[in-house]
Amino acid sequence: MSRKGVGLAAFDRSRITSAQYASHGNSLRSSHSTSIATQLSVFRSLLQNFAQTHAKDIRSNPSFRAEFARMCAAIGVDPLASSSGASGKDGGGSFWAQLLGNSVNDFYFELAVRVVEVCGATREENGGLIGVKEVKDRIMSTRMEGGTEITDDDILRAVTTLKPLGSSYSTLTVGHKLYIRSVPKELNVDQSAVLEAAQLLGYVSVSMLMLNLRWPRARAKTAVDDLVSESMLWVDKQCDEWEYWSPGFMLEIQGGGNAG
Amino acid sequence: MVRKHADWWAAMDCLGASNKNPFAFPSSYSFPPFFTRQPNTSTHHAQLQKWSSLVQAYCRHHRLFKLSLTDSLDSDLFHNKKIGKRLGREDAREVVEFMRKEGRAEWVVDDKGKTRGAGEGGEFWVWWRNVEEWAGLIAEWVDETAQKNTVLTLYELTESEATLSQEFHGMDPELLQKALSVLVKRGKAQVFGQEDQQGVKFF
Repeated sequence: MSRKGVGLAAFDRSRITSAQYASHGNSLRSSHSTSIATQLSVFRSLLQNFAQTHAKDIRSNPSFRAEFARMCAAIGVDPLASSSGASGKDGGGSFWAQLLGNSVNDFYFELAVRVVEVCGATREENGGLIGVKEVKDRIMSTRMEGGTEITDDDILRAVTTLKPLGSSYSTLTVGHKLYIRSVPKELNVDQSAVLEAAQLLGYVSVSMLMLNLRWPRARAKTAVDDLVSESMLWVDKQCDEWEYWSPGFMLEIQGGGNAG
Repeated sequence: MVRKHADWWAAMDCLGASNKNPFAFPSSYSFPPFFTRQPNTSTHHAQLQKWSSLVQAYCRHHRLFKLSLTDSLDSDLFHNKKIGKRLGREDAREVVEFMRKEGRAEWVVDDKGKTRGAGEGGEFWVWWRNVEEWAGLIAEWVDETAQKNTVLTLYELTESEATLSQEFHGMDPELLQKALSVLVKRGKAQVFGQEDQQGVKFF
């Protein structure tokens, strides 16, 4: 008797075997997916719990918030996923927005609103280019005492939440300093160099530029005049040589302002 | 310390502690270019706005109602001795003009309707509260203290101890007249008497 049947029954058997394989595969798959689903739901509820119990910390403690953001990034989660802003009202919102009870998102959106306010309010005096630190200081100064502390990192994150609006808000590095630009305007190389130089003392003069950057007078004068006409520098004529000041310096010298 | 107002400080000592503190100038006050007229229009506009709020805050703090341009140019309002920068006369005039357009300042005019030396360095009102607002404050105070239908002297209104806590305490008499005339027009007050013995009755 051959084990391998040659009769019609062989077809039945092989069909049964493959069906058994298939069903076993199915059950494996389903048990797998249930276990993953369980894991996911556990993770989900844990994260939800975490976000709920620590919502206050996330909002109020800057280093905690930074750690949380870093953790989310490590597991491939963007708490600010742009889809989240789109459908806030229909109870939809993104998966993460629901998960985190909106607290993280809201924090950054509220902050973004403040950033836009500050940029708008100071655009006349700084030509739409403002240091991240100045923005932070301004926002902090208008907050009530004991209000939540915010960091440069938060400001930068808030600016990225503005991207989906197709806005002109972007960040820009000049020298060692980060700026937020709220006016779509490119700085040329010379202008960046002047702004960078002005970070050191708060101001530059034409002869300083000539000396340090080895520029001819005309080049230095042009760069400076351009920046003045863009509101990005203020001129002080009450000195031997005109000094061109960076408006961002206005906040840094605070405290020395009291006539005491 | 504010040298110029030494007498004034003494007079105000009895007031709330908040006014004993020196005026906290904004950071722009220590920013040297703040004292130079900015050539760029939008920067200049921002500059004028900052000056306007500085002048108002300064006057509010010191309870000044009227400033003389000439005197102010040498006071710490327009002259930051610490950094050795000062606002020029023309630039200061521009600030006042800007404030006037904002409804926050007004050149003082004499009886003939002529501006008292507006050209050179005249005096100007600083409306950190405008006349309407002053009128409202006084009416409110009278209401709160249930002094309707009683006669008060003008002196009493601004100099008596009863009004110490009020912002209109120590108010310039000329300004008081202006504020009261608003109330008179509204039929809420009646002023009578002569010169320095005037009284007022509120309804």
